[in-house]
Amino acid sequence: MTIDISRRNFIKIGTIAGISVLIGRLPTAHALEAHSGPSAPGWLSPDGKARYRWDAVRKVTGQKEFALDFRARDLPGWPKEQAHAFFIKATRADRIFEGVDPGILGPDLQPDRLVLHEDLARDGLTVPQPEGFSAEFYGKNFLVPAGQTPPMIGHPVALLVYRDFDRYEAAKRMLRFETNVVKYGAVTGPKTLPNYGAARYVRIGGSSPTASSAFSPMQDAVIWGAFDGDKPVWPPDSPTGVFVPACVRRKNRGGGGVRDPRAVARETYEPMRRGMAAAAEIEKAIEAARHDRSKLVLERHGFSQSIDPSALEPDNGNAWYDAKTRTLHLITSTQSPYEVARAAAVMVKDNTRFPVKTIKLLTGTTVGYGSKDHSIFPFYAVAACFYGDGLPVRLANNRYEQFQLGIKRHSIEMDVTIVADRQSGRFEILKGFYNLNGGGRANFSFSVAQVAATAAQSIYYFPKSDLATIALASRAVEAGSMRGYGTLQAMSITELMVDEVAAELGMDQIELRRRNALQAGFENSQGAQPQGELRNIAILDLAAKHPLWVNRHKAKAAFDKANPGKLYGVGFAQVQKDYGTGADTSALALQFDADGTMRMRHCVQEIGSGATTAQQVIVREMLGKAPDFVEFGVTKFAELPVVSNCSPYASTQKEQDELQKNPYWVPFVLPAMSASNSAYFIGFATRQAARFLFENTLWPAARAIWSEGPSGGQIAGGFMTVDKLRVVEGGIGGDGLETLPFERLARKAHELGLVTGVALHCFSRWEWATATFDIPTVGSVEMPADALSVRYGDGAPATLKRRMSNGGYHFIRRSRVKFPPVQRNDAGVTTYTPAGCIVELNVNTFTGEVKLMRHHYILDPGRVIVPELVSGQLQGGLAMGIGHALMEELPLYEDGPGNGTWNFNRYTLPRARDVAVWNQTVEYLAPLSESSPPKGMAELAMIPIVAAIGNAITHATGKRFYRLPVTPEKIRNALAS
Amino acid sequence: MITAIEAAKPSSEAQHTVMGFHLYKKWKGTLMSNENRAPQIEKKPLSLIVNGKKVGPLDVPVGMPMIDFLHQYLHLTGTHFGCGQGVCHACTVVEVRPDGSLVDTRTCIANAHSFAGKTIITIEGQAKTDAAGKVTELTPIQQAFIEKFSFQCGYCTSGFVAGATAFIDRLKREPVRRDELESAIEEALNDHICRCTGYVRYYEAVRDVALATPGCVLDSKERP
Repeated sequence: MTIDISRRNFIKIGTIAGISVLIGRLPTAHALEAHSGPSAPGWLSPDGKARYRWDAVRKVTGQKEFALDFRARDLPGWPKEQAHAFFIKATRADRIFEGVDPGILGPDLQPDRLVLHEDLARDGLTVPQPEGFSAEFYGKNFLVPAGQTPPMIGHPVALLVYRDFDRYEAAKRMLRFETNVVKYGAVTGPKTLPNYGAARYVRIGGSSPTASSAFSPMQDAVIWGAFDGDKPVWPPDSPTGVFVPACVRRKNRGGGGVRDPRAVARETYEPMRRGMAAAAEIEKAIEAARHDRSKLVLERHGFSQSIDPSALEPDNGNAWYDAKTRTLHLITSTQSPYEVARAAAVMVKDNTRFPVKTIKLLTGTTVGYGSKDHSIFPFYAVAACFYGDGLPVRLANNRYEQFQLGIKRHSIEMDVTIVADRQSGRFEILKGFYNLNGGGRANFSFSVAQVAATAAQSIYYFPKSDLATIALASRAVEAGSMRGYGTLQAMSITELMVDEVAAELGMDQIELRRRNALQAGFENSQGAQPQGELRNIAILDLAAKHPLWVNRHKAKAAFDKANPGKLYGVGFAQVQKDYGTGADTSALALQFDADGTMRMRHCVQEIGSGATTAQQVIVREMLGKAPDFVEFGVTKFAELPVVSNCSPYASTQKEQDELQKNPYWVPFVLPAMSASNSAYFIGFATRQAARFLFENTLWPAARAIWSEGPSGGQIAGGFMTVDKLRVVEGGIGGDGLETLPFERLARKAHELGLVTGVALHCFSRWEWATATFDIPTVGSVEMPADALSVRYGDGAPATLKRRMSNGGYHFIRRSRVKFPPVQRNDAGVTTYTPAGCIVELNVNTFTGEVKLMRHHYILDPGRVIVPELVSGQLQGGLAMGIGHALMEELPLYEDGPGNGTWNFNRYTLPRARDVAVWNQTVEYLAPLSESSPPKGMAELAMIPIVAAIGNAITHATGKRFYRLPVTPEKIRNALAS
Repeated sequence: MITAIEAAKPSSEAQHTVMGFHLYKKWKGTLMSNENRAPQIEKKPLSLIVNGKKVGPLDVPVGMPMIDFLHQYLHLTGTHFGCGQGVCHACTVVEVRPDGSLVDTRTCIANAHSFAGKTIITIEGQAKTDAAGKVTELTPIQQAFIEKFSFQCGYCTSGFVAGATAFIDRLKREPVRRDELESAIEEALNDHICRCTGYVRYYEAVRDVALATPGCVLDSKERP
C-alpha cells in the first residue's frame, strides 16, 4: 500500500543544492533568534564553568533583547517608520456582536485603518488550521463576525491601525475600560464551541508492579469518550455498536496528534470495551471496599484555579509585508518559533490578494512559562501587517490586554477516590475524574486534560486506576500550555489526600509515601515503565531525616505557646514531573575552521531559563572549546534537507514503516521550547554532535599529532585508545600525553581532511530513533540520530568536497534506521524528575494570613549542566508555586480577566516577602554516575510546594483544604466553623 | 470638523470600505456632533537630562506616559513596561536629585512632562561604555547581578538595577546595621515583581554589594 500523504503536507527545512524549494507552494519560512552572532567574551571561565549567562551583559545593560524592544527602525532592511495597532474586544459573550462605534475617539484619533472580520474574510486572512492539529486549535476567527455571539469573553472584534505612535497611544488610552464602543444585539446566552475531548486511562495491574498489566492504555487502549452536553459519554457495553468518540488526540504535548475518531472507533472498539469492563470492575472493587473495615476509601472533591502566567513580557509581534518582494517579515515573542513559521506559512499560502513567497521570522529572547507556546498571538500580528499600507504594524499587549487575551492555566474540578489497606497502608485503587475548563479556544486543552489525568498517581504505585478526564469549551479566556500542564493541579490534590490517608491510618505521612512509592521498573498508570531509577525513596528518606520534619511537633508546641494568635505547621509533599513531549526533536550544526574558530547553529530558543547558555557549556565540556559564533532559534537548516509529514503522534505503524524508507524523512522537524525539554532532549543532540566530533575528529587528529616523529611519536610507547581521551585544562589529552590546544587539533583535522563539522537531527518518542550512517573518512557509525550531515576539512579530496552541497555539508543518507514504534505514543510518558518539599509556616488565626517561614527542597536533577541555572529555576518555580497555593486566582467569566479590567493591582503575585527569600534551602541527590543525564526540572520546581503548603496549613490548623488557592478568607471561615 | 475627517481619509467611499460595516453612518454622525468631540492631541515642549545628555526641547503629547517617551522618542527600550499602574516596578529608572542623591522613580504612571527639567539615568546609562557604545565597565549592582545569575528572562532587570542602585546610594547616606540589612533590602525592593527567579539571587546580590560598599552597613552593635 502506498501512503497517501500528498507532497503538499511536507515542509522542508533548508534547501536542496542551494536552490530554495517550495513544496506545495508553501512559502519558505524560517526563523532566527535576534541575538545570534559572536558569543560574548568572558562569560566562561578557563575551566569551562559559566561565570555568568552568555547573554547576561546584554540583559543587564538594557540592550534590545525582547521582540518587544524592537521597532522597524532597529531591523535591517525594514522601513524606518512604522504603524501601531490595537484591538477592540468584546467583553460580553452572551449576546450578538453587531459592530463597533469608535466615535468617542473623535476625528483626530480615528484609526487610519479599522479592520473587521469582514475585511479579513475578503482578503483571505483566516486563522491557520495546520494539519494534524485538533479542529480550530487556534480558534475559528481572528475577529468576531458581525451577527455572531463571541465564543469567549475578551475576544477581539476590531483592529485599529495607526500610522503614527502618538495618536495610537492617545486612542488606546482613551478606549481603555470603554465598553460602549462595542455594540451588541440580541441576548443569545453563551454560544460555546463543541467540547474539546474526553479520555479515560484505565489500568488493572498484573501480579506485581513490574508484571504485565491485565489491562492498560499502553498495552490495550486509551478509552476515548464523547459528550452529552457537558457530561462525558463512554463506550457502551454493546458488542455490535461502534462508538465514535468526540475527539481523538494523543495526550502528548507539542502539537499534532489528532486521529480520525471513526478510524479509532473501528480499530480499538474491542479493547475500549474491555477497558470499560475493567473500569466497571474497579468501581465494583471500590464499592466492596466501602463495606470492608480493613479498607479505607477516601473520596474528595478538589479544585485548582485559573491563573495568569504573568510573564512580564506581554505578547507582542511586529510584522511587515513587503509587497515588492512578496516577503512577510515578522519579529515576535514565542516559545515555538518553528511552529510560528510553519503555521504562518499555512496562513498565507495561496493568498492572491497578498501573495507571500518568503517568510522571515525573527524572535527575541522571551519568557512565557508555556503561555507563548503555540499561541495565536503571532498570527494576529501577521494578519495585522497587511493593513499597514506598506508600513510594518506593531501589536503589543499592555497588561490589561495581556490578562484579557493571554493563555491561562486551566482551572480543574477534580473528584478523586483513593482506596488503601488499613493494615499495610498499601494503596489499592486510584479513581479520578478531572474536568478542565478550556475556555474559548481549543489550543492544548484536551492534551493538558490527559496529562493531568495520567499524572494524578503522583509518585505512587496503584494496582488499579481509572483516570477519566474531559476538557470543556466555555466562554472563559483561553487556557492552554502553562507550566505544570495539568500535572500541578492533579498531583496537588493527590498529595493533599495522601496526607489525609496517613492521618486516617495513623501513619507518618512520609512512611506512608515510602510504602507506596514507584520504584524502578514499576508500571505507571498508563502501563509504561518509566526510564531509569526513579529515586523517589531516596528523596523520602532524606525528607524523613530533615530537622524541620523530625522536630515538627515539638516546634509547633513551642511556637504556638510563644505566639498567641498564630499557629505553626510543617507540611511535606513529593511529586514526580514528566518532561519531554513524546515527539522530542533537536537539531544543530557544529563546525570549526582551520584556525579553531567554532560555530554553532542551534534550534534552541532562549526563554529565560538559560538554555542557550547551557548548550554552549555542553560543547565546552565535551570538546574543551565553546563556540565562538552562535545562532539560536534556527528553524532553517540547509545542512539537513529533511522532510516530514509532521504527524509523529497520529501516524500508524504501517505509515511509519513506509515513510521511513525515504532517507530524508523524519517524524517531526523541530521542537518548541516547552515541557522542560531543553536540558535533556534538546541537549541530547548537542551531546551527540560534540561526541561525534570528539571521537571521529579530535581523536584521529590528536593521534596523528602524538604520532609525529621518527619513531612513532610520544604515543608509541603507551597504549592510548579513544576511551582514554580527555578534555583537560588547555585542550585535549589523556594517558599522560601532551595536552593539545583545540586550535592545533583543528589545524591538523583540516590538514588531514577529516570531518570538521557535523549537523544532526534527533527524534525521541520516549525512545530515541537510531540509524546507521556510512560516512566517508569515518566509516559506518550507528548513532541515536535520524539525519546526519558532515563537513570535510580543507585537506579533503575534491571529490568529497563536491558532495558538500547542502548548506556546505554532505548529507549522509542513513543506511538503516530504527524509529521507535508508534505504540510508544500510548506510553504517555517515561521520563520523570522527582522532588520533595518541606514547608514551615504559621497561620494568623485572626486574619487567616499564612506566613512562610522556611522551606527545604530535595531534587534529583541528574547531572547538572549549569548549577546556578538549575537553582534559579528552582527558586523561581517555588515562588510561582507559593502564588498558586496561596494567592493567585482569576474568576472565569464576566468578572474575570476577559473583561479587560485585570492587572497586578488586583491579581496578587508573590513578592520577596511572601517566599521566605532568605530562608530557603535545597538539597540535590548526587547523580547515580557521571553518565547520568541531566533531567528536565523547570516545571517540576513549582509543584510539590503547593501541596506541602496545604499540608502545613492542616498541621497548623487541623483543617483540610482541597480548593486552591488557600486564601485568608477560606482559612478564617474554616477556623470559624 | 467634517473636513478634518475627510482629510484624514482617502475618501468617504474608501472609508466605508475600510470599515466595511453598517455602523459607519452612525459613527460618522457622531463625529459631526461637536458635543462628542474628542480632545485634539496637544503637544508641549519637553526638556530633561537623560544619561548625562540634554534632551529636547521636543514636542511631546500631553498625557503621554514617560515610558512611551523613552521608547518612542529616545529609542531607549531597556526600561520595560510591566503593568502601567506603577505596581510592578519593572519600569523604574533612577532620578538624580539636585543634591546629587539618587532615587528610583516609575515611568509608566508618570506623565513624560512631569520629568521636565529633571535628570534621570535609564538602564542604558548605568554602565560605562566606550565611544562605540561598547560596555567597558558595569556598575557594582550590574556586576553582582550577572555573577549571581540574578535574572532569567531579564525583563524586570532594568527596574531592579534602578531600585537597587538607589537603595545602595541611600545606604551610603543612611547606613543600616548589619542585622537590619536583609529587612532593609526587603523594604526597598519588595514592590519589584519578578516572575522568573523567586528573588533570591537578586536579593543576595544586593546584600553582597551593600556589604562590599564602604559605609553602607554598620556593625550590628553600632547605632546609625
